[in-house]
Amino acid sequence: MAEPFTITEHTNLALATIMARKGVDPAAIEAALADTQLIPTGPGTWLAVSYCDPPPYPGEGRGPVPTPDLDPGLRRDTLKDLASVSDQSGGYIVYRFSGPAARTLLQRGAFIDLHPSVFGPGSSAVTVIAHIGVILWQADDDTSFDVALFRSFAGSFRHWVEASANAHDRHPDESRDPWDPQV
Amino acid sequence: MRIPCPFCGNRDTQEFVYRGDASPTRPDTDEAMHDYVYLRDNVAGPMREHWYHAQGCRNWIVVTRDTRTHEIISAEFPR
Ligand SMILES: [Zn+2]
Repeated sequence: MAEPFTITEHTNLALATIMARKGVDPAAIEAALADTQLIPTGPGTWLAVSYCDPPPYPGEGRGPVPTPDLDPGLRRDTLKDLASVSDQSGGYIVYRFSGPAARTLLQRGAFIDLHPSVFGPGSSAVTVIAHIGVILWQADDDTSFDVALFRSFAGSFRHWVEASANAHDRHPDESRDPWDPQV
Repeated sequence: MRIPCPFCGNRDTQEFVYRGDASPTRPDTDEAMHDYVYLRDNVAGPMREHWYHAQGCRNWIVVTRDTRTHEIISAEFPR
């Protein structure tokens, strides 16, 4: 991999799964959460992602206890009668992959087409990388992607990242390690 | 083989769990229960079957597949 990418853990995200109640039009939920980033994960289900400062689970060893003051956009009151909300801020870890090689690296793991013509800004997918279930989406620009996975798989996932980054045509003159964790 | 999930698009079968024939329906009588649970046709040709997209949208899908060629004729949500 001649060109580098970086991997960073998001630490300021409040996450929740949103599931539409029976008979509720998904559009009503999207309208109620217009200010929140919603990643579609199935019919009538989303992963809601919102930035949260201070982080919902500050520091190392973020525990399983849900914090009472998630970002207002994710509060259950907003969706009362529309959808069920489950806090996932501690359940998922979200990595940001950036750089010219980010798309190539992810394409080595995911069995879906990540070519920019079919997977661009706003695109997302629930799929598998190295047998690990992931929710991945393209962030704002052309070279940034976010990947959410269950937190306990983080070590295995990072092993795949390292192996894949090192296994292929690394440029011999590359002075910088293409796998450059910035955690 | 790729399964065209109605929500996710074309996906590798690795993401799915296969359940089999979609046609049997739960019977009202105990006598018919044995056949419902254990007996299956060995279809050669188009067959409606259940696939569960476990590693994707987590929905059941009814796939109509030709068992001789693996041609996928349709894939839709059961309801
Ligand atoms: Zn699916």
